[in-house]
Amino acid sequence: MPTVILLDVSLSMLRPLKLADNSEITRKQLAVHGIHMFLDHLSVHSKLEFISLVTFSSIYEEKCSFTRDYNVIKSELKSIDDYDKTCIEIAFNGINQIVLNEWGNNTACQVILVTDGSSGIGPGSLKDSLSTINQRGAANPFPVPFAFPTKLHVVCIAPPNDISLIKSKPLYQKLIDISGYEGSINIPDGQLNEQSVQTIFQKLADEMYASFKGSLKCGHLESSIYLTPAPIPYTKVTDFEVNTSTVSNVIEVCGFISVGDIGSPMAVSRHLILPAGSPKDKLNNSGEMSVDYESDNSDDDKAPSFCVLFHGALKVENMAALVSVADNWFGFIYSWADSKKKSNLMLTLLVPGSDSVPWLGDLNNLHSLDGVPCDSVLNFPLKSSEKRSYSQNSVVWIRQAGLQSDIQKILRHAKKLPEKTQQFYKELNRLRKAAIQLGFMDLLTGLAFIFEQECTQLPGSAHPDCALQLTHAADALRKPPNIKHVIVPMQTNYTGSNQ
Amino acid sequence: MFPNANLYPANHKTVFVLDHTPYFGISSEQHIEFDFIKSRAPGFLQVPPISKSLWTCSVEASIEYCRIVWDLFPTGKLIRFIASDAVAHILNTWVTTQQNLNHIMNGMSLIGVPPPPRTVNTPEFTIIHGLRTAIDALSEITELQVEKMANSSANGSTKFINRCRVVCITSARDDDSMKRLEEIFHNVLQQHNKTAINDTCIHIDHCHLVIINTFPISIESHVNNHPPKVWSPILTTEVHSVKCTLISLKLSTLILQHYNLASTTVTGIPMKEEQNASSSANYDVEIYHASVAHTAMLKGNAADVAGIRTIKEGLEYETVTLKWCTPRSCSASEMQNCTSMHRITPVDVNSRPSLCLINFLLNGRSVMLEMARKSGGKITSHLLAAHGGEIFIHTLCTARSVLEDPPSISEGCGGRVTDYRITDFGDLMKQNRLFPLKNQYQNEPPTSKMVERLTRHTKYWPLTISSTLIFNLKGFIDPLWTAITKDKLNDEEVRQCKQVVYKLFSLESKHEILPIPNAGQRIKGQKREDQYKIMWKELETLLKSNQHTENHTSVYICLKDCHKYRAEDKLSDKVELDQALRELDQLEPDHQRASVIRATTDSPMSPPPLASIVSPISRSTRGSGSIYSQKSLFDIFANQESKVKPRSDFYGRDPDSLKVKLYPNMKLDNERVVKGEAMVIE
Repeated sequence: MPTVILLDVSLSMLRPLKLADNSEITRKQLAVHGIHMFLDHLSVHSKLEFISLVTFSSIYEEKCSFTRDYNVIKSELKSIDDYDKTCIEIAFNGINQIVLNEWGNNTACQVILVTDGSSGIGPGSLKDSLSTINQRGAANPFPVPFAFPTKLHVVCIAPPNDISLIKSKPLYQKLIDISGYEGSINIPDGQLNEQSVQTIFQKLADEMYASFKGSLKCGHLESSIYLTPAPIPYTKVTDFEVNTSTVSNVIEVCGFISVGDIGSPMAVSRHLILPAGSPKDKLNNSGEMSVDYESDNSDDDKAPSFCVLFHGALKVENMAALVSVADNWFGFIYSWADSKKKSNLMLTLLVPGSDSVPWLGDLNNLHSLDGVPCDSVLNFPLKSSEKRSYSQNSVVWIRQAGLQSDIQKILRHAKKLPEKTQQFYKELNRLRKAAIQLGFMDLLTGLAFIFEQECTQLPGSAHPDCALQLTHAADALRKPPNIKHVIVPMQTNYTGSNQ
Repeated sequence: MFPNANLYPANHKTVFVLDHTPYFGISSEQHIEFDFIKSRAPGFLQVPPISKSLWTCSVEASIEYCRIVWDLFPTGKLIRFIASDAVAHILNTWVTTQQNLNHIMNGMSLIGVPPPPRTVNTPEFTIIHGLRTAIDALSEITELQVEKMANSSANGSTKFINRCRVVCITSARDDDSMKRLEEIFHNVLQQHNKTAINDTCIHIDHCHLVIINTFPISIESHVNNHPPKVWSPILTTEVHSVKCTLISLKLSTLILQHYNLASTTVTGIPMKEEQNASSSANYDVEIYHASVAHTAMLKGNAADVAGIRTIKEGLEYETVTLKWCTPRSCSASEMQNCTSMHRITPVDVNSRPSLCLINFLLNGRSVMLEMARKSGGKITSHLLAAHGGEIFIHTLCTARSVLEDPPSISEGCGGRVTDYRITDFGDLMKQNRLFPLKNQYQNEPPTSKMVERLTRHTKYWPLTISSTLIFNLKGFIDPLWTAITKDKLNDEEVRQCKQVVYKLFSLESKHEILPIPNAGQRIKGQKREDQYKIMWKELETLLKSNQHTENHTSVYICLKDCHKYRAEDKLSDKVELDQALRELDQLEPDHQRASVIRATTDSPMSPPPLASIVSPISRSTRGSGSIYSQKSLFDIFANQESKVKPRSDFYGRDPDSLKVKLYPNMKLDNERVVKGEAMVIE
């Protein structure tokens, strides 16, 4: 997940520190040293992570936008100027801007605040910011919680017994609490020196980029996998409940659905599935049986991996696998291509719960065709049990145009009587029913009047049935309204010959 | 601390209290125009003016409110209707089956128009009856609340909160009478909360009372609006005073707040003109949906956002304008990266442009929506698509992806292997394609049964073509291959499976080469005998690991039995051969050699010496009960010895028999020989 290294460049970072060998080093130098360690660790273990460097004092500056080329950051670290005072709120506002522009509000990020334990003085200090947190308007909201899921890690380049650190610590903790995600405060163990700072960053890198290792199972076929980025627990808020779910490390295939049927459901997050080479990668029962003559599989590339087979078949068939990732939490695995050439196995996590995709129905209630009676199987997409208003010819007369077009439609049919007798009465009854329901009695008498007028205006060429039906309809409209009563066409001598 | 502000929303329970007193029977005084009649020939009488009553205006506006809510939230957002005149008329309850427009509209037709003004003996007409009944309704527990209450008490966790809303459409004389109305409501609410609480009746923790004061268009109202006012911890009230023709407009502003909705205007929809079908013009359609669909976009670049947010003329709320983007052919059949997905409903449900867009979508096509940027250029930000008769807005991820430039799957473990059984796995996928079931399951979820089923189907499933032999012999192994993974085998299937085994045996005994179409080099290069060995071994593994029922086991036993017979047969040959060779060392060569040679040539089925047939398969299977389990030569010999029956003495030598016919079968033998020759010739 993308990480912002937020480096304090206030004057207090320049305070020197005497090391054991009597040499002097500033806190800033220590911080830079630590960040170097951190980046070195990443370039070995987590090459795909995006890192950005932001410096702050009473202003902030994005020194280096998100990159996988850590050397750019290292070279940037060489030329960092020193500014005035520590203003964490301003820096966090900046981070909100930077991350939203780059990753949007859905990508989980991490922020590493590297500072010296003094959280500022006076207006703009962290203490000041936190004390006014409840008095914020819409114009200057407090930047935490961040506009995107974020873990906040604070690294204090300060001796553990530093007085300002002791004061600041609860403030940092409060920030982490407000952020809503698990963060950490990191303080050197024992002495503040290069070694202890190095340890902090080393530990942080280990914890922050703990990769997700699990296994992908399809019955007896199994493959060890990595998920990148590692999935984070998801908190689902509904009207009555707040539930947090965590992805289990066994991802189990439940069956297959064609990609077209899935539609594009809401995804909580997406993860690449990378096969992790291991002896388990082979057939589960390979201990007993293997016709593979090549027992020498020291070369991982050449040992078959279920993941690769799985990907190939999903791609060829244009299907996706429904997988269970935790109790009552599902996802889809499918072949995904960033570019034309490079194709990958992708896991999309749905919203936890078996009802997360309405048109797929209850995800626990799916089965293959055989093994169940034929007449108990439906097809995708599932129709909603009720029709929505837009698919059932609703009557809405709030705007006059709605009513006018309904009346015009009836009059159009009236002119084509007796051919349109059925349609005429169908529309008439629809309008009449709605008018009775809305208590719109004026409309019924008005329409009766219009019908009677139409009769008087009929051209000589008009079919005799026309006048009869119109008069009949007008009479029916003038009767006391009863919704159960439906106006039926008048039986005339002409009706039979025309139907 | 309250865990989340979105929990226990007031919009779970809404009660509409409609004024059904005689006053609401009066005309709105807005006449419906009939342009299409005016232009008629002379002699056509003017249609007497038609106008809606206050009652019609308030019913249609509140019904429209419900239409929007239930289109967007099919469950969990409940609305009740109460009409108030001399008494309160309850039109529906919280029960799900009564939460639909049809039920309410039918109720409306039963109530009919407001009654005529009061005569001497009728009770007082007032909205208060309705408001009192509304409070009773709010304290009635809903199905969902029962369920969630049970859950939360089971967890022993958070306190359950009953929040709700009343929307009252009435008409008051002035601010004072409106204030009195609010006071009465507050008092009744307080009183109600003091009364006994039981299983079906719960405490009202908070009520939001929205009063819409309405009047005909020609009248000036003396009631002023007031924004939300906190009366007490349990009541917040607000008053909106609007002309009756504008109730709908007011309610559509309020509904956005009540349900946290947002408006999107889809602009530039190309549509044929009604009158002139050859030309097309661009139309706009406004839709409502959950406001979350906009969140990602509105948090983006401020300048871009300012450009797309506008307030339409005559409206009180903002709409976000997004451009229709002529759909690509297959946008819906790909997996789009959607960060949210919400139902939509058109604001003007029966206008021509709305119907046009709706039908386009319901017919299975989808529309991308684009957001124009200040800097020029545009981003595809949303997707409109219908699924199962419902239309959804999908928010697409417009931000940079952390999955940028990922390594290809072929670069990782197993990426270099080229002979995966992709077609076979594709078949497995098709066999395990999921379909929704009609009936809700009772015990074990069907999807979990699928996991068992997949396990059964993959008990023995080699990944690559070169690592299997039997799966390359589909023509021969079918239907055994497909049948054996079933959960049950009927007798017919067992017979067919056994047939496959027999067929393979007969193939082997006819010394035919296994027809392997595209086996790897290693297998191709092997001798026929070795191929059969591997085939039997693999088949055994397949059958052994698929013993789901007795019938399955019977197929396995069939294979074992056949093979045992075959194996013993061969082994006995072998013993004879060994014996013969040993004897050969001791005896005179000439005479015996011939028979030894004959024995060797007669037995082409004899396996190669044991040492040479040990394949990787058997390496790992030694002593595991396989048909190839190793026995020492002594065991075999001893076994054979015990089976050899002592040759019975010539019965001519039996002291009891006196006469014996020599060569009794001489004639028969001759016939047999002739036949045998014939067979050979064939």
